[in-house]
Amino acid sequence: MLSTIQPPRYLSRFPLRGRTKSRSFHILSSAQPVTKTCFAADQSQILSIRDSLLNRHLSAVELTHSYLDRLKQTEPHINCFLHVSDPDKVLKQAQDIDDKIKRNEEVGPLAGVLVAIKDNICTADMPSTGGSYILEGYRPPFDATAVKRLKDLGAIVVGKTNLDEFGMGSTTEASAFKVTANPWDLSRVPGGSSGGSAASVSARQCVVSLGSDTGGSVRQPASFCGVVGLKPTYGRVSRFGLMAYASSLDVIGCFGSSVADTGILLHAISGHDSLDATSSKREVPDFTSQFTYASSLKSRPLEGLRVGLIRETVDAGVDSGVKSAIEGAAAHLEQLGCVLKEVSLPSFSLGLPAYYILASSESSSNLSRYDGVRYGNQASSDELNGLYEESRAKGFGSEVKMRILMGTYALSAGYYDAYYKRAQQVRTIIRKSFKAALDENDILISPAAPSAAYKIGEKKNDPLAMYAGDIMTVNVNLAGLPALVLPCGFVEGGAVGLPVGLQIIGAAFDEEKLVKVGHIFEQTLEGYNFVPPLITDVGGASA
Amino acid sequence: MGSRALLMLTNFNFKATVSSFGSASNPFFLIKNNLRIRNFSTKTRSSLQPPDLPGLAETARISLAPNEVEEFAPKIGQVIDWFGQLQAVDLDNVEPAIRADTEGDNLREDVPQTFENKEALIASVPSYEEPYIKVPKVLNKE
Repeated sequence: MLSTIQPPRYLSRFPLRGRTKSRSFHILSSAQPVTKTCFAADQSQILSIRDSLLNRHLSAVELTHSYLDRLKQTEPHINCFLHVSDPDKVLKQAQDIDDKIKRNEEVGPLAGVLVAIKDNICTADMPSTGGSYILEGYRPPFDATAVKRLKDLGAIVVGKTNLDEFGMGSTTEASAFKVTANPWDLSRVPGGSSGGSAASVSARQCVVSLGSDTGGSVRQPASFCGVVGLKPTYGRVSRFGLMAYASSLDVIGCFGSSVADTGILLHAISGHDSLDATSSKREVPDFTSQFTYASSLKSRPLEGLRVGLIRETVDAGVDSGVKSAIEGAAAHLEQLGCVLKEVSLPSFSLGLPAYYILASSESSSNLSRYDGVRYGNQASSDELNGLYEESRAKGFGSEVKMRILMGTYALSAGYYDAYYKRAQQVRTIIRKSFKAALDENDILISPAAPSAAYKIGEKKNDPLAMYAGDIMTVNVNLAGLPALVLPCGFVEGGAVGLPVGLQIIGAAFDEEKLVKVGHIFEQTLEGYNFVPPLITDVGGASA
Repeated sequence: MGSRALLMLTNFNFKATVSSFGSASNPFFLIKNNLRIRNFSTKTRSSLQPPDLPGLAETARISLAPNEVEEFAPKIGQVIDWFGQLQAVDLDNVEPAIRADTEGDNLREDVPQTFENKEALIASVPSYEEPYIKVPKVLNKE
């Protein structure tokens, strides 16, 4: 049953507190027309904020206070941030927006939207550590292109989020500074490496956030934290200012509490950048034009869409709870009109070792720049090699050291053909097999991870067990394809269950289709509340 | 099943044993469908020299404490062995892919552009003596 009135979901996306009681969001019912798009503001936090600000129902300062209060309340429990912006500076930016609106001046489409940025993405006015001691206190001399674009559109950067050091890890446990907790169960990991960014959106400390995805680092935490994560096609978003881990695999990705917000954010940061030679010159379509008003959806809005469920991802070894959630999601897609079938990608399992060979090798090269000479922490030594060796020994954590050593090995003379070259050949095979599957199907679906969030400390000492969790995500990076993860169900665990995400994979540069399908899926999914109990418990906010 | 036998014979040191095949902690559950193994030899283990950690550390310019060598060696060994499974795959006539190559050539004009914020660059340098970045002496090793 498609219904236009969805107050519980709506409120559960944006619990308000204190100050804004008198300016209730109830005013923004679905009956109210919104600027130029034809769908209700309650499908997108970003659009509802824009609406409230322009119609003077809410000021940017009030909105910012609301988020900053929630951040302050939840942060001691979840530890998402390595650096939080000075509240006075943030409120000043909000005030500037309010002043502009009062003077009837134009404000950007992201005006007043609070964004958190993963700490391996450079921000000129804030420390950017990459989660590592070697860059403790480092302040980049420039903003990453993605950050610059957000700021130009009026977004307010609320802080830098925690991550596994240089993106190497799946839990944030490899951060030099702190471990982030999953808002759904504080004894569990939020996923990684963009765990801080995912948890921050999940806990509504910010509206949206940026992360990076090299082998699943946006999609897996999105699944673990019950938020939407979008990995664009390699080349869609400029990597300038993203601290390189594996240059042929890295992308900057987006988190939001809804598909619409994630799509809007991606659109804002996408596009060619002359500072990134791998950035694509392709046109970036307006993803929001794909969104449809819930009530005007036909009864089977995705009629005829060919969906391929990757058989190897629902085999033995995947949690039975995750399998049921994905089966439920597949059934939901069928109800929406999709034609579902199983597809097999026989080379699927090769992707994992190939990925780790390529990623370790490329990282061993990329991380050679951290030598204590031009930036970062410098150890003392009376000769140059010693300076390098000591600075790096003291500055890097164990996981990073191990991966650099593995990569150095794989690239050594005599071993290059056996490892790196073979991994590149496997990459070709995987690209071709995905392309063939996507010629027969419009999208492919799978879980984002073989399980829901596990306990902190559970996989810390077993690298292979941790790497195994990436099986669902790495192949997409090898093929350079876009993928969307959105919450589709729960498994047992924690106080109310642990969220599970559905991964939707598309053809290169087809983010538009992913966002369209994800949006319809999300709007028609009933019976689930993806706001963690932490938010409703803290300060008694209504949800 | 052939692949289970393979796993047992290659002696991988992973926590989840073959008997717990159905659990999510088993890293190798997806290997069974690999259709491309050229011969059913048990040699998915790398036949190359195992990693010489102190030598690698010197190449990578990272000094390792003895306890780190002890801690890392088995873990790295395990992962490198696991990498070795690619040896058994038939990759004849497959072009290596440098990257996903979702887009073509994309070079800009070879024209230098000035970076304005030089003060910030210099401010980051740990040891600066205008106009030099200062480092200790280079020791020539034979």
